[in-house]
Amino acid sequence: MSATQIAGRMAGVDAGAPIRQSSLWQDAWRRYVRNRGAVAAGGIFLLIVAWCIVAPLVSTHDPNHVDFANAYQGPSWSHPFGTDQFGRDLFTRAALGGRISIGIGFGATLAILGIGVVYGALSGFVGGKLDNGLMRFLDALYGLPYLPFAILALAIVGTVDFWTMVVALSIASWFITARVVRGQIITLKENDYVRAAKAVGVRWYAILGRHLLPNTLGVLVITIFLELPGVILGEAFLSFLGLGINPPDASWGSMAQDGRDAYRAHPHIIIIPSLAIATLVLCANFIADGLRDALDPRTKET
Amino acid sequence: MALLELSDLRAHFFTREGVVHAVDGVSLAVEAGSTLGLVGESGCGKSVTALSIMRLLPTPPARIVSGGISFDGRDLTKLSERELEDVRGREIGMVFQDPMTALNPTLTIGTQIVEVLQRHLGLDRRRARRRAGELLAEVGIPRAHERLDDYPHRFSGGMRQRVGIAMAIACEPRLVIADEPTTALDVTVQAQVLDLLDDLRRERQMAMLLITHNMGVVAESADDVAVMYAGQIVEQAPAPDLFSRPEHPYTEALLSALPDLDDHEARQSRLTAIPGRPPDLIDPPVACRFAARCPFAERGDCCVLEPPALRELRPGHWVRSAHPTSERHLSHA
Repeated sequence: MSATQIAGRMAGVDAGAPIRQSSLWQDAWRRYVRNRGAVAAGGIFLLIVAWCIVAPLVSTHDPNHVDFANAYQGPSWSHPFGTDQFGRDLFTRAALGGRISIGIGFGATLAILGIGVVYGALSGFVGGKLDNGLMRFLDALYGLPYLPFAILALAIVGTVDFWTMVVALSIASWFITARVVRGQIITLKENDYVRAAKAVGVRWYAILGRHLLPNTLGVLVITIFLELPGVILGEAFLSFLGLGINPPDASWGSMAQDGRDAYRAHPHIIIIPSLAIATLVLCANFIADGLRDALDPRTKET
Repeated sequence: MALLELSDLRAHFFTREGVVHAVDGVSLAVEAGSTLGLVGESGCGKSVTALSIMRLLPTPPARIVSGGISFDGRDLTKLSERELEDVRGREIGMVFQDPMTALNPTLTIGTQIVEVLQRHLGLDRRRARRRAGELLAEVGIPRAHERLDDYPHRFSGGMRQRVGIAMAIACEPRLVIADEPTTALDVTVQAQVLDLLDDLRRERQMAMLLITHNMGVVAESADDVAVMYAGQIVEQAPAPDLFSRPEHPYTEALLSALPDLDDHEARQSRLTAIPGRPPDLIDPPVACRFAARCPFAERGDCCVLEPPALRELRPGHWVRSAHPTSERHLSHA
């Protein structure tokens, strides 16, 4: 760097000139891409999602076409993942199952986030007696184990489709998110800038919406990827028990259940969806870790 | 009638250890267009007084127990939260002590000033933005209009305090409460920020309640001075009168504790300190709160038994003591 450049930069610093414009999210992105594991996990995650979206569109096989002559085939060129006991193409079916599994996963995660944010923000922001009441109610709900609760919910509904599954999985799993958001709001509420905002007459909803909630966004993004694996596993578990989405639709969990009967002779039927679930869950965990490192201000460098 | 009048204001904190009488019978008046300096040591209730006026005390645990806050003829203690939101920022502005934490780090400076302007003056976005730029220029930020899009972390402490001042005066309030506005700043910047506050105040004919523990700051910019001790006002007077003829033993002690850099002998000696400690505000003394540290209060004295009242010793000079300087000489003579 030449002397004039240095002088120029120093003059710029003196005048408080912007040296490098970067927002919180740009900083976070820079830190995230430096984490190779997280980037790889993100890439694989996107690849799986893309495969689930694209594969059924371009596939020449009808995923629900029963063809007993071709049942239990191992992987081949025309059926990369082989076929199941009905001779259905597993490559296409796994992609379709992925759509449902991932769709339910994100759907339930967003529902968890939605309920959790509203409940937690209200509790933390209003405080006092309302906070106390809402939190004691949460304590009572906390005792509910979520899977039996989901099973019960599904048993009551009877026919299971996408949305009933989303409801069953989110109805008893938003407690932690609500707690986290409440904690965040309470911590943020104590900040001087919130008092300063009140001192210039900013209304309560603007304080909540503009000064508090955006600051919880980092935590919420992390929460998405922390909740996602649990929800996807929960869905797989319920489907494996036969409580999943009704046939002929399938999720990865119900596909694995299909493969259970012949798992000795034809293990690929159970392995493929299980592998898909495991990969996706692992990726989500890696992404959550990477995001946490990237968004945690304590790791912030200049 | 004064713009702001506190009458026997009491704000207490209800904690597990007991009731903290943080503000315990404060009466003071700020005249329109003038500056009142409120001085006192840490923990004497200065900031709680300021937050009480803004009605921004953390409730619970704090609560205004009794007393009135009359602002422009209205009693602020009787306003609803909704009405208070219209007063804050519009009629009373506040400058906070620590500029490093008083701005939201996730919003640009522009957004935060525009928010105030839109909220109170109903300006549209473009005009609010232009006005925000003008305000930043007025508080002495170079290239103000470009810097609207910067986040607070790009500003130094002094610059941020200027932004804080810009926000406090954005809607031309009639009163600005400055709670130790220079305490967190470098000494070199303190004088600049004080001058800025004073200039802006004069231009706009705003009144100011300047809270500080720095006698020098008060001497520089206050018209009147109120001295606070253990939750009460112990002396209030016009600034020149207070500095030349302090009446309360506490004020006297405070002033003599100031280091004198011109006096060579004094420079050699140790700094003067006030013996003892301020009383516990959970269980304050029933009588004069300064009695335990007062060199003039004797055992069996009336002021050890019952609290002295705040009385007007001479026009404009109020004192809460049984042994003000001017009476002391008389009695000893």
